[in-house]
Amino acid sequence: MTEAERDDARGLQIDRAIHEPARLLITAHLYVVESADYVFLMGNTGLTWGNLSSHLSKLEATGYVEITKEFVEKKPHTMVKLTEEGRTAFDTYRRQMKALFEDLPD
Amino acid sequence: MPASPGLRELERRVWLRTFEHGLWDVAIGLLLLAFGIGILTEFYWLSAIIVPVSLPAMRDLARRAIVPRIGHATFRGRRKRSLVHVQLILTGLAVAGAGMFAFTSFASRGTAPDWMLWIRSHFIVVIGLIWGGALGVAGWTVDFPRLYAYGAILFGALLAVDLIPSGYHLAHALIAVGGLIALVGAALFIRFTRRYPRHPKPLEGAADD
Repeated sequence: MTEAERDDARGLQIDRAIHEPARLLITAHLYVVESADYVFLMGNTGLTWGNLSSHLSKLEATGYVEITKEFVEKKPHTMVKLTEEGRTAFDTYRRQMKALFEDLPD
Repeated sequence: MPASPGLRELERRVWLRTFEHGLWDVAIGLLLLAFGIGILTEFYWLSAIIVPVSLPAMRDLARRAIVPRIGHATFRGRRKRSLVHVQLILTGLAVAGAGMFAFTSFASRGTAPDWMLWIRSHFIVVIGLIWGGALGVAGWTVDFPRLYAYGAILFGALLAVDLIPSGYHLAHALIAVGGLIALVGAALFIRFTRRYPRHPKPLEGAADD
């Protein structure tokens, strides 16, 4: 049984694509903007280029982010945007976490 | 352990970071300087060309000096609209300033109604209220508190012109306040370039984990 399946069995259906700390940071930053480039995300999340690239690939594979590569003055420039699906998933995750922690006894 | 910011605070921090570079301050300072120098030298066209010349120049400088340091992000909803609003306000400042000069020349005619004559006699305070108020509104629109201080300083300087009997002219006040704001902007820009060095850009897709 995987950890995700164990969580499901406990009634916790956490989106692991978002739940991982680095990806949570990335999605939170993308949630508050419309789109951002790599340098912006590196500066705001503190992730290295490689780490960021690796996590963004995972988020892109789940369909949560859209990565657009363009050329500005012959230099490659990559913009990242949360898709509608990613935005909805982040909203759901946010509500789940809020409900989970608000439910804890003091 | 410091508390993590909520999403609202995170959004505000990210937004304010895009103003840390001081180029907006330099643009506002140059606008006021152009008005002041234009009045002093009677080259009134200076104030007319400053917005169409300085805004594209600032955008170009931002693309070359800011984006390689902190990157680029586009904002959503309210923030996106507020950027358009502040550009309209800055353009409005230039137009209102030029309009006030046209107004005073019209109001100096013998046929002008009393209220026009009253405005003409308190022209500098009125222009201080319009410009200071516009900077305050711009500060509120973009959630950028420094603009409140600039609005207050500008109004104070123009009020002083009205109160001090002679020797201190509108042009001097605009040059002093514009120069001060541009200098603050330049200092912020230097601090920004030191705080955020250019990102050495590795090959895209190179993973280290």
